[in-house]
Amino acid sequence: MIRVKHLYKTFRTHNRKEVKALVDFSTHIKKGEVVVIIGPSGSGKSTFLRCLNRLEEVDSGEIIIDGQNILEKRVDINKVREELGMVFQHFNLFPHKTVLENVTLSQLIVRKRNKEKAVKIAQELLDKVGILEKENVYPSQLSGGQQQRVAIARALAMQPKIMMFDEATSALDPEMIGEVLEVMKTLAREGMTMLAVTHEMGFAREVSDRVIFMDGGQIVEEGTAEHFFKNPTHDRTKLFLSQIL
Amino acid sequence: MVFGKRSLITLAVLAVILGWVYYFLTVRGITYIWHWEQIPQLLFYHGTKTAAETTPSLHLGVLMIGFILTLKISAVAIIFAIVLGTIVGICRLSSEPITRALSITFVELIRNTPLLVQIYIIYFFVGSMLRLSAFTAGTAALAIFEGAYVGEIVRAGIQSIHKGQMEAARSLGMSYAKAMRHIILPQAFKRIIPPLAGQFISLIKDSSLVSVIALADLMFQGQQAVARTYSAFEIYFTVAALYLIMTSTLSMATQYIERRLAVSD
Repeated sequence: MIRVKHLYKTFRTHNRKEVKALVDFSTHIKKGEVVVIIGPSGSGKSTFLRCLNRLEEVDSGEIIIDGQNILEKRVDINKVREELGMVFQHFNLFPHKTVLENVTLSQLIVRKRNKEKAVKIAQELLDKVGILEKENVYPSQLSGGQQQRVAIARALAMQPKIMMFDEATSALDPEMIGEVLEVMKTLAREGMTMLAVTHEMGFAREVSDRVIFMDGGQIVEEGTAEHFFKNPTHDRTKLFLSQIL
Repeated sequence: MVFGKRSLITLAVLAVILGWVYYFLTVRGITYIWHWEQIPQLLFYHGTKTAAETTPSLHLGVLMIGFILTLKISAVAIIFAIVLGTIVGICRLSSEPITRALSITFVELIRNTPLLVQIYIIYFFVGSMLRLSAFTAGTAALAIFEGAYVGEIVRAGIQSIHKGQMEAARSLGMSYAKAMRHIILPQAFKRIIPPLAGQFISLIKDSSLVSVIALADLMFQGQQAVARTYSAFEIYFTVAALYLIMTSTLSMATQYIERRLAVSD
């Protein structure tokens, strides 16, 4: 479904230092696969997700989604993004819109659905993430966990083929992580293709098909969650896991 | 001590000013005779406007006629200043170097030359080429001048919105224009209401400068009335009060809008 070939991405900091975020990064994600990406901060995990929907422009390489290289100039990136749902660490809900409007807006102006249908889909999704009773409040009146569940519903409303979670639980208070992970697990069990940057190893163990450990913009090791718990091979992986577990 | 050091200084300054005014009006022998009775008829009068009118009725006086024209000029200029300012503000943040350079040049050129000069240029030079009326030329000059300031306010407003908002909107498939229109600008405008209100209050006051191109606004009518009646103090105080009515109404209106928009905070 997604084939990534030889991605390179370099950031330039304000004092003109170069930081290599992705170095010859290649991978393949199959339809319905749930992939968890772990790694120390600055290892390029988030950059990889953000390159997939071109929130960041790569220096070179290929990203082929459903047979189309989305890095080509003639590709309409807005069309590609409709198929790639993204959930952010800091939710990024639209503060001037109610919960329901957050979930209907892109359906109306991007998918061009009529109001009735958009509202119906939004309410079903809000029900699914367990927050339908808050449909008419503004995001500022919600807890972090509730906001993140709305953000998931907002991304799902576009009916994307793939969902990407960029540290979706990292900004949450500990008691709210569970409710968001539950929603993510439900999605995974329903067969959604998922890419999740997370340090929640419980999530990885329960629903992931594959875990990728990244460091220095490259894949150091990949395998099942079981493999990472039982016998990680690289020293770098062992050190990292010993620190987070 | 009841008063602090600072309030004592304030009181002393006030006393000096009042003493000076008293000295000026009495000891120096300026005997100004106030003619406030002339003011009401400059606002409204009961009588006949033309010879054709047989029965007298209530008419607007010259100051009120000027007041209404100032309102019209200001309202039209505010609308165009918002449109122009939004375009300039967005262009200022464009990734296209030429668009960016053009908008910066526009802002710098307009902000760094006097409005009075611009009014003359637009009226006498551009206006005579394009056959603009004094109203069009004066309003355009105001809208362009204030539009440059509004552009900078809009730019600051857009930049103050967290970049995650744009990223979220784009990741949902919205184009840059849609994201701007539905996500960024509504939030930015809510945030820039206070500086915008200040700018539009300036605009109303600056509109008095269009009186130089014989546009019969409040200031122009005031000057004419002074020339006829010699009651400079009374008329200018009245003109100032009329401007104050417009500007303070705008202040109150924006405070009301701000409170209304605060529901999502």
